[in-house]
Formats: sequence, C-alpha cells, structure tokens
Amino acid sequence: MSHAAEHTAEAPAILAEVKPAIVPRAVLVAHGRSFSWITEKICGIIEEKTPRWWWICFAVAGFVASWTVMGLTYLVATGVGVWGHHNPINWAWDIVNFVFWIGIGHAGTLISAILCLLRQKWRTSINRAAEAMTIFAVVCAAIFPVFHVGRIWFAVLPGWLFPFPNGNDIWQNFRSPLEWDVFAVSTYGTVSVLFWYVGLIPDLAILRDRFYAAGNKFRSSLYGLFAMGWRGSNRHWSNYEMAYMILAGISTPLVLSVHTIVSFDFAVSLIPGWHTTIFPPYFVAGAIFSGFGMVLTLMLPLRAVYKLEDLITQYHIDCMCKITLATGTMVGYAYAMEFFIAWYGSNPNEGFAFINRGFGHYAWAYWIMVTCNVITPQFFWFKKIRQNTALVWILSIFVNVGMWFERFVIIVTSLARDFLPSSWGYYSPSIVEIFTFFGTFGVFSVLFLLFIRFLPIMPMAELKAVTPEGDPHSGANAHH
Amino acid sequence: MSAPAANIPAANATHLPAASATRANCALYAGIAGLAATVIGLAVSGNVHAVAMSYLVGISYWTTIAIGMLMLVLIHHIFDAGWSVVIRRQFEHGLAAFKWLFVLFLPLVATAFIGGGDTVWPWMNPAHELLHGHGTVATDILYQKKGAFLNVPMFVGATLVFFAVWIWLSARLRKASFAQDTDGSAKWTTMNRKTAAFGIPMNALALTFAAIFWMKSLEYHWFSTMFGVWYFANCIRAALAFGVFIMVWLTARGDYRGILNKNHWHCIGTLGHAFVIFWAYVTFSQYFLIWNANVPEETFWYNLREHGDWYYIGMLILFGHFFVPFLYLLSFRRKSTASGLLPISIWIAGIILVDLCYNILPALKDAHGDPLPFFSLNLLWVAASVIGVGGICVWAYLRSFATSGAKLIPVRDPRITESLTYHE
Repeated sequence: MSHAAEHTAEAPAILAEVKPAIVPRAVLVAHGRSFSWITEKICGIIEEKTPRWWWICFAVAGFVASWTVMGLTYLVATGVGVWGHHNPINWAWDIVNFVFWIGIGHAGTLISAILCLLRQKWRTSINRAAEAMTIFAVVCAAIFPVFHVGRIWFAVLPGWLFPFPNGNDIWQNFRSPLEWDVFAVSTYGTVSVLFWYVGLIPDLAILRDRFYAAGNKFRSSLYGLFAMGWRGSNRHWSNYEMAYMILAGISTPLVLSVHTIVSFDFAVSLIPGWHTTIFPPYFVAGAIFSGFGMVLTLMLPLRAVYKLEDLITQYHIDCMCKITLATGTMVGYAYAMEFFIAWYGSNPNEGFAFINRGFGHYAWAYWIMVTCNVITPQFFWFKKIRQNTALVWILSIFVNVGMWFERFVIIVTSLARDFLPSSWGYYSPSIVEIFTFFGTFGVFSVLFLLFIRFLPIMPMAELKAVTPEGDPHSGANAHH
Repeated sequence: MSAPAANIPAANATHLPAASATRANCALYAGIAGLAATVIGLAVSGNVHAVAMSYLVGISYWTTIAIGMLMLVLIHHIFDAGWSVVIRRQFEHGLAAFKWLFVLFLPLVATAFIGGGDTVWPWMNPAHELLHGHGTVATDILYQKKGAFLNVPMFVGATLVFFAVWIWLSARLRKASFAQDTDGSAKWTTMNRKTAAFGIPMNALALTFAAIFWMKSLEYHWFSTMFGVWYFANCIRAALAFGVFIMVWLTARGDYRGILNKNHWHCIGTLGHAFVIFWAYVTFSQYFLIWNANVPEETFWYNLREHGDWYYIGMLILFGHFFVPFLYLLSFRRKSTASGLLPISIWIAGIILVDLCYNILPALKDAHGDPLPFFSLNLLWVAASVIGVGGICVWAYLRSFATSGAKLIPVRDPRITESLTYHE
C-alpha cells in the first residue's frame, strides 16, 4: 500500500473521513478466469481443427467476394459506363462505398488507439478485432477509388495519383482533397498495419512456442518469423509498451485527419448540402458510430460461437452500446444543425437541398438514414435492450445500413438536384455496381475469417493485465 | 483501503470559513466595483453600444467557464471516471455561479426593451438602419427569412431556457454530490449518472443555441454549422484553465496538499492539451472551409476580422490559442506539475477572452461598415465587465465552498480511493 503511505506522510485531515460508498467496478474478465485459461481459450481457437461452420462461411464469403472480382473485371474490360453514373450524378456508389468502408476502417484504429490513450481497459477484448476490421475495411475502401477510373493503371502507376517526375511536368492537383486522400489513406493504412502488427508480436510468440511444444515446426517457424525473436524480457516489454503508445499517439490524429479529409472531399465544394463547416467532426463522429456498429456486428457472433462471454462481458457490450448511442446522437446533432443552418443561412439552394433530402425523390433514403442513425441507437438507453444480445446485434446491423445511407444521401441527393434544374436527374445503380458493392462484404468476410483462423482475436497479455491477478494493487496480491 | 489514512487524527474538515468569507467578500466588492464601472461607462462613455458589447464579452466569458465546468462534471459522471473525483468538487462549487450569471444577464435582456432595442443585437430593432443605405432590418430579406428565429420573444424565451437548463442540472448534480458526503449512499452516484446521461445532450443544445443567439446573431447574415462546436471547445478549455487556478490555490493553501499528486496534474494537462488540438481542429476547419469555398455570404465575417488591427488579433489567436499552448504542453514535465500548468492556464484563460472579443466586438462598426479597431475601443469597459461578472462568480464559488457544507473532496464517492491513489 505504498500510495497510502505517501498520503500518511503529509495527509490532510479530510482523508480521515474518506469512506467510499460501495459501487464496485465491473470485472473485465468474468468468473475469475486464470492466465492459463485465457491463453488456452484464445490459442485454442487457432489450434483447434478448423470447424465446419468456418468452412461454410468461408465458402459463402468467397462466393460473394467473387461478385466483386467479376464486377471489376467487367468494368475494366468494358469501361465505367457499366455503372449507373450519368450527368449530373457522376459520383455515386463508388464514392458512397468508399466513404462507407473508410469510415469503418477509421473506426477500428480510432477505437483501439483512443481507448488506449484514454486508458480504457475494457478495450482489451475488442481492440484486436477492431484493428483487423480496420485493415480489411481499408482494403475494401481502396477498391473503389482505384477502379472508378476504369483504366486502373491510371490509378496505380506512378504519376497519376502519386507524384512522379515526368517529361511534361504534369503534376497532380495538390489543392484537391482527393489528392490529399491518396496520401492520407495510404499513410493511415500503413500506420494501422503497424499498430496492429506491433500489438500482435507478443501473442505471435506465444503461438510460436505452443506450436513448437506441440511439434508443429512449420507453424512454429512461421509464427516465429513474425514474432521477431520476442522473448518476453523486461526490455522487450518496455520497448513494446513505448512503441505501442507512440503508435497509438500517431494513429489518433491520423484517424481524425483522414476522415476530416474525406469530409473535405465534399465540404470544400459549393454543392448545396456539401458545403457546411461542421462536416469534419460530423464525419469523425459518424466513423466512430459506424465502427462500433460493425464491431458489434462482428464480435457478438464470435462471442456466441467461441463462448467468449467471460472475455466479452455484458459490461463490454454496454460500453459499446453507450458509445454507439453517444456518437449516434452526435450525428443526429449534426443532421439537425445542418438542417437548421440551411434554413437560418437563407440560401435558397441550401434550403432546397435539405428540403429535397427530407421530402424529395430520395426522401426514402433520408428517412432510412435518420431512422437507422438517430432513432435506432436511442434504444440503447434501455438496459434491457443492451442485455439482449440478439437485439443488439440486429440494431448494429441497422447502424451499418444507416451509415451507408448517410453517404448515399449526402452524395446522391445533392448531385441529383444541383443548381441547374435543367440538368437534374435520378440515379439508380446498375446491376454491376450492386454486385460489386455487395461483393466487398464477401472480400471483407474472407479476410476476417482468415484472421479468426490464424491470428489471436484478442491480445492475451493485455487481457491478463486487466484481471485481478494482473493488478499489483488487487487484494490477491496486496499481501505479497 | 476504505480509509487511506485511518491513523490520521480526525479533524474538523470544514475549510477555514473565516478566511474564505474574507476572500469571498473581496471578490464580491471587486465584482460590485466592476459592475459599477460598467454602469458608469454606460453614462459617460458616449458609446452605449461599446459598453453593452463589452458587458456581453464579460458575461459570455464567465458563462463559458461555468458551462465548461458543468460539462466536465457531466462527463466525469457519464464515464464513471476515477482520477477526477478529487477535483470534481471544486467544479461543483463553480456551478453555483449560474444563478448569478442569470441575474447578471438580465440587463442584456432588458436592452431589447430599451430605446430601439438594438443596443447589442441589431436585429432586435426593425428600424435599425443597415449599412450602405440597404434599408432597415425590417426590410432586409435575410432578416425576414430568419425572423421566426431571431425575434425578441424567442431570444428571451431561449435565454430563460438556457439558464433554466444550466441551473437545474447544476442543482441536481450538486445536491446529489453533497448529500453523498453525509449519508454515503450509492443512490446519489446513480442519480448523477442519470443526470449526466440526459444532461450532456441538454447542455450541448443549450450552449450551441446560446452561442448562436448571443454571439453569432450579432452579425446575423453570417452562419456556420461549426459555431456550437467551437464554443464547446472554448468552454472546456476555459473550465480546465480555471480548474488549474483553483487547484493551485488550494494546494498552496494546504487543503489539497497530499491529495493531488503528479498524475492528477498530468491528466488535467493532457486533457487540456487534447482540447488545444480539438479547438484548433474545429477553428481551422471552419476557417478553411469558408476560405476555400470563398462564398461572399460567408467570407465577409472573416474579411471584417482581417481589417485593421483585428488582423493581428486573429494572428494572436492563431498562435496564442493553438501554437503556444500546443508546444508548451508537449512537455511531460510542464503538464504534470502545478508550476508548469499555472502559467499556460493563465495564458489560455486570457486568450479565450481575446477569442470571445474577436467573435463579439467586430460587430461594432463605423459608418463605413468596418469594425471599430480593437485598440480604439475603450477596453476599460471590457476589463470592468470581466472583473464585475467575474467578481460575482468568484464570490459565488467561494460562498459555496465555505457555506455549502460540502466536504473539501467527495469523501463518500465510490471512486474516491481510486482517485486519491491515482497513478499511471
């Protein structure tokens, strides 16, 4: 009790009156699970024989992913005309899908890094999967800007998106947020992978040792290669903690900057409904909202299938639901503020854009958005609903749907009704677009299933650190 | 460790009521003197508008601090935070200022009914002449469009609602927290969490629309969806700065010695640093999006503020509100000690006042429509208002501190031990 001793040295009299009310903190690992139980549980997922459900899911996901492959192949072979774009809606599902996936992609690292900086210990059960979700979502997001040019070599060859010296001195438009996206997203993707990978190292070493002990030299070598000689020494842990904290510190402003720049894609323009100053924080709040929605969508089935109730407790679900509620309400604040200022600003074009959103041709999309993003999370006020995991999962799906529609509403409704009534149009996606987009859920699922199968879905060392045994001040250790 | 210092002799934990009462009286006298100077200014300055606007700066400044304290207490409860329990009580005392701020705001409400009604807010007077011969407020198409919102009954009603929300939330939070000192019941913790759950959105809406009505509507042609977020960022920064002043004062006096440790200071410093960045993010985003779009109906607001010496005030805000505290607080040592945090908190508290001046005072214009230069304004009236309203607010804080019967720290809070023993 060294801290008590510190106080007694020069303690004011008021400390004698300290007698806290009893409101225990929620346990983060239920049923007093031991260190070895945690190791066995997490490693067991990887070490067990591949379950049949996994193969079924993998096959279905692979099949769905093939839609994207086929859609993109057809697009490249034929041209962007196979999508439903036409004047004036020259941006549609491509950018909608990009922002949708990049939003989810931001949320994972945001959740992990910000919760780490805020010392929220409950993050340990969800951070690994959230970070994996980030990387896979960024992969899905990247598909759309790369392929929306049709001739993809324009997107990937140096000189088109990335600056490259050339004979004609033709450079990118560095004043365009679309160009900033290239740097922001690629930097973000790199740091996210690093952040995820650094966190994995101690766990990869555990798997290396376990496979070695089990006589599986191949897998031991493979995990050993990526564990980079981790031995768990004090020095290793010290360096690891510092590296992890620095990466969390770098990731946090990166995440904010990336989604801010995504919001700039729209807000720097003059299109009614796009040019509004609240876009940057509104997009960031939306990203956290959609991210927690997707984490719930992914983690609740995992919890059920692998019986992880002791690691993803009701408290974890409560926390995620409450953050979803808070960020959904922030998004609702932004919707309301946009609507209010569109009226208050008295610009007829802005006013029309918002009236059109709510009551025009795309009103159905607007009200789906409002229902899913503002009304749905309000159910999380109720404890009984938060305790019903099936219902929470269904509501999380609504959040995902709502956030896709948010981007659709912002992008398509504004473009479909711009300044010139003579150019107004109505956008409907083509079948190629529909299959390409839904196929990305397959791509995402394939990657996530591989992650579940081959990498530890939770950080074992961090989980152990939040158990009573891992706390040097806990009652169990206080006597030692 | 239910009682971390059980071997310490029990002592009377009330805190030097006589000394506090003296300080409270000093603050009260300073407040009365400041308010009296403001009243004198109205009579002798020859520019009633400038004095009234200065008073708006003064009252906005202290309301900003109080709103920030309220938000920090609400956030503390919603997060079930541990480390901040020992400092929360001082913010709760700070909330005692709201009812006095309401009383002090009434003269501004009264301006709507005195003379033409446009002493502060031009749109309150339909006959108010617009610049360059563009008619009056009543004939202004932009005002006509906004008239359903910008009208005197709406303003008065909304202001009453804002203060009702703040006073009611503060009363609930204080009651539950102080009552827990006596009976140690966990029900008060539950009550405060519930208050926080609905209080945060209520406070967010109240502070947003207060900022729109009181500040943004001074130049009612202008609009920005970010304005409420900008004001929120300033509220938190101001509250943290004044939180540091209180902690330093209580530590120097001896009350908090042995209660606050380096980690508490570090948390306050880190939170302050985060909000420096958040403020910059929000303020930059607003400026950048307006600058980049270059639409006259938005850019005029910034153009006015690039006129004359307001340009330098803008630069001062850019460097002083962001770069100076950002770079200063990068240092672990500076943000984890009282002596390190005090100077930057004084700086931040000062620069927030400048920021409010920057948002409010350029609404005072000359015959050409240019803002009156900052240094041509009699800044004495700003100082008088800040001291006047501030004296009353500090008096309210000290009075609550000395006479509310609440303990120095929430001794029966469920997380008090966690807070007292807080470490990295």
